[in-house]
Amino acid sequence: MTRYGMLINTKKCIGCYACRTACQRQNGLLPDEAFIRFEEREQGTYPAVSVEHLPLQCMHCEDAPCVSVCPTGASHIGPDGIVTVDHGKCIGCLYCVAACPYQVRVRNSQTGGVDKCRFCNVSNYENGTKMSTCVTACPTGVRIFGDLDDPDCELVKEINRTHAEPIAGDVTKSKVYYVR
Amino acid sequence: MSEHAITRRSFLAGSAGVAAAIAGSEFLSFGSWQQAYAEEAAGPTTTAHSLCNACSTKCGFTAYVVDGKLDKIIGDASHPYCEGTLCARGYGYADIAYSADRLTDPLKKNESGQFQAISWEQAYAEIGEKVQSIIKESGPETLAIVQDPRPSGKYYSQRFMNALGSPNVYTHGVACNMSKNSGFAQVIGASDYTSDVENSKMTMFIGRSYADAIRPSALHALEKAHEAGAYIVLVDPRLNNSIAFADEWVPINPGTDLAFILGMAHVLVSKGLYDKDYVAANSVGFDEWASYLQNCTPEWAQEITGIDANTIERLATMFAEAAPAASIEPSWRGAFGCSYDNSGETARAVCAFNTLLGCWNQKGGALFLPSVSASKLDAGTFPSVPKPEGTIVGAKEYPLSQSGMGVSVFAANLATTGMVRGMFFYNSNMVAGYSNPEHLKECVEALDLSVAIDVQMSETCMACQYVLPDTSYLERLELPEFVSAKTPVVTLRDKVIEKVHPNTRPVDQIFSELAEACGVGEYFTFSVEELADAQLASVGLSLDALRQKGTAAFPEKTFEYGKTPEWKTPTGKIQFASDACEKAGLPRVPQWREPAVSVPDDGASFRLIGGKQAIHSHTQTANIEALMDITKQYGLDRVWMNANRAAELGIADGDTVLVSNDLFSGQAQVKVTERINPEALYLPSHYGCSSPQQKTAYNVGLRQMDFVPYRLEEGYGGACTQETFVTVKKVGA
Repeated sequence: MTRYGMLINTKKCIGCYACRTACQRQNGLLPDEAFIRFEEREQGTYPAVSVEHLPLQCMHCEDAPCVSVCPTGASHIGPDGIVTVDHGKCIGCLYCVAACPYQVRVRNSQTGGVDKCRFCNVSNYENGTKMSTCVTACPTGVRIFGDLDDPDCELVKEINRTHAEPIAGDVTKSKVYYVR
Repeated sequence: MSEHAITRRSFLAGSAGVAAAIAGSEFLSFGSWQQAYAEEAAGPTTTAHSLCNACSTKCGFTAYVVDGKLDKIIGDASHPYCEGTLCARGYGYADIAYSADRLTDPLKKNESGQFQAISWEQAYAEIGEKVQSIIKESGPETLAIVQDPRPSGKYYSQRFMNALGSPNVYTHGVACNMSKNSGFAQVIGASDYTSDVENSKMTMFIGRSYADAIRPSALHALEKAHEAGAYIVLVDPRLNNSIAFADEWVPINPGTDLAFILGMAHVLVSKGLYDKDYVAANSVGFDEWASYLQNCTPEWAQEITGIDANTIERLATMFAEAAPAASIEPSWRGAFGCSYDNSGETARAVCAFNTLLGCWNQKGGALFLPSVSASKLDAGTFPSVPKPEGTIVGAKEYPLSQSGMGVSVFAANLATTGMVRGMFFYNSNMVAGYSNPEHLKECVEALDLSVAIDVQMSETCMACQYVLPDTSYLERLELPEFVSAKTPVVTLRDKVIEKVHPNTRPVDQIFSELAEACGVGEYFTFSVEELADAQLASVGLSLDALRQKGTAAFPEKTFEYGKTPEWKTPTGKIQFASDACEKAGLPRVPQWREPAVSVPDDGASFRLIGGKQAIHSHTQTANIEALMDITKQYGLDRVWMNANRAAELGIADGDTVLVSNDLFSGQAQVKVTERINPEALYLPSHYGCSSPQQKTAYNVGLRQMDFVPYRLEEGYGGACTQETFVTVKKVGA
């Protein structure tokens, strides 16, 4: 069975926002509607200081709080394990926005509906469709997309090699793994 | 197509709620999405190759157009600057075509200072008449144009000005890389080089960050170098974002890079760690410099730079071990493109230091990459414009300045004397970006004729009498752009979409029609298509062929390592000592020179430094909603202050402060950070837009240039953009 997931290597992330604007263009989002948000963490004292850029987006959790709180079933888990919003059913109650521990759901300021990362890179992954996704657009190759159930795919190999882990451990059974 | 199928467009429309009824229930599973995408692939999508306009790099991309509207854009893998990936600006800036704040009609300022729409015919007639009367009364040398070079813009603006008989064609260089390029030319006879970062064992960056002022291919090379174990050093008052792929941050006092380089050079020379054979075979003046360097000990440099003498000695020694696969990277605007009164001399020192490493054209060193250009064209179709008499205004006063860039703000400054009477601006926001805006505004307003050609109401447009609306870069074909690279290429900005605003006109048409109105139309009797095709034919290509590919390579011109270049200096050698510098009142060899302005040691003052952020270029991207939203969401317009200094001043992260000097005073929020030298206050260079018509950018943040006095670097003419200090006070304290 296919179980799509992603690896984000923060050691390569320069915090340049290319993924955010590429995603907006690929998915036709509004200027203030971003599926990726960033945290920046500074450690140490001058001049022995380091900085980490942390891109966060929908983790496509197997135990997804946004799905369990959704009163209409708009938020649901699709056949490939991708957490999806059915916009015909979304009533804009924002329960999911409040429930998401990663704070990666956004309200569309024109419609009031909620949206988030759609794992759109599947088309690129499966049949090479040219896209400007967060995976393909990143100038430093921060992300790897793949099938977590396929031990031969680059994603699984890299997760094993780097001992990458979900950002908050096993709490929500997230399918996005981080190298930090 | 099944009855349940939806197109990607209706899917997206559904996601925006417009067609929520169609987009009901299970159709919006991923399967539908994929189906929609597949359907679209066979649908009415057209593609065209273009070049990004969000910065000077001009990366190549494929634009996808659906029903006449720009859809996605994807970087072209064959373009040597992007290698398949664009930066955030590339995706965001494409919105400019559809910006609600576009200029849509020719404008003329009336007596009360308001702009009124006029016809193109009226604009051309009045501008043409004024140009001809200025030429008649004062000569063509009192006319000038300033432009930030773009493929068609640089050709047409120069041809227009030269046809009028004026040599005064300027770029934005004074506020960019003038001092650097001019200083380099004194030593190596070339205005730039490229560090072979990817193959280096060690590369040092001074005030340049590939991760903040992004050329994607440079970033790719840095990442590869890091992965291959190269030692990467960042010399910068700020810990910039390139640190992800670097090994060491050297948190230098701003304005002291020259002393740092001299200190390292002292180590190489005094210990005999330099490439003696290379220096002997290729250079002149080494003994003079070596003699000066005797006193430039690491301890001496430590006093000035704030960098420990041991660090200076260690890095110099590492350079010697890594040579010739090592170099100081050429930088761009960064620390010595135009920042200080010692920037040109810093640039000379950089090239002199690289010469000690013997790294020119060596693998992993510093390279002179090949380029190709169009040959001379048929003079019947494309008549040659006679070379104007005289030299560009400013060349006499700033004899080391590169004439290809010119000291634009000096020319503007002459407006108040009547020695320059008419100025044109193309894709140039001189007033807000090149030096003190208040002063430059007064200069432009003092002109007898001022014309700005742009896509949005810049501060420069506001100061001009006439504003002519250009098409955006997505709405026109431009001339081919030749790009130097290891394998040089030619690239094309083709037309992607039809005009959004019918009364805008493309740059080639505007200049051709202006020329006609000014009585020199005989030099503009061809179309941009004809010229582009002829230029390409001269290198064995055609416009049709390049339209298909976007980028075409010249593999027969591919760079080869190890060849000693021809040094295009007066002596034909690398010049540690320069007669021209001496003649310009500077030392013959690169010597320590203080910045012109020192920061008072009063506990309250900071040197104000600027610098690029990855999502903006100059002031031209700030009005793009998708980019400005990032600024607002993440507080990127904040000023950076060292944490210890902030504690001393009772300032906490996020506080609102008043930043002041004798020129300007304004409020900003503070980012308190360990990532900056205590002496420096960093103000990102993109904000403080004062044009109300740029509704997204207007009044967001402070503008660095408001705090910068009009001052030009001795000899070189750089705008001295960091020769200023400010005090910072917490608001309400």
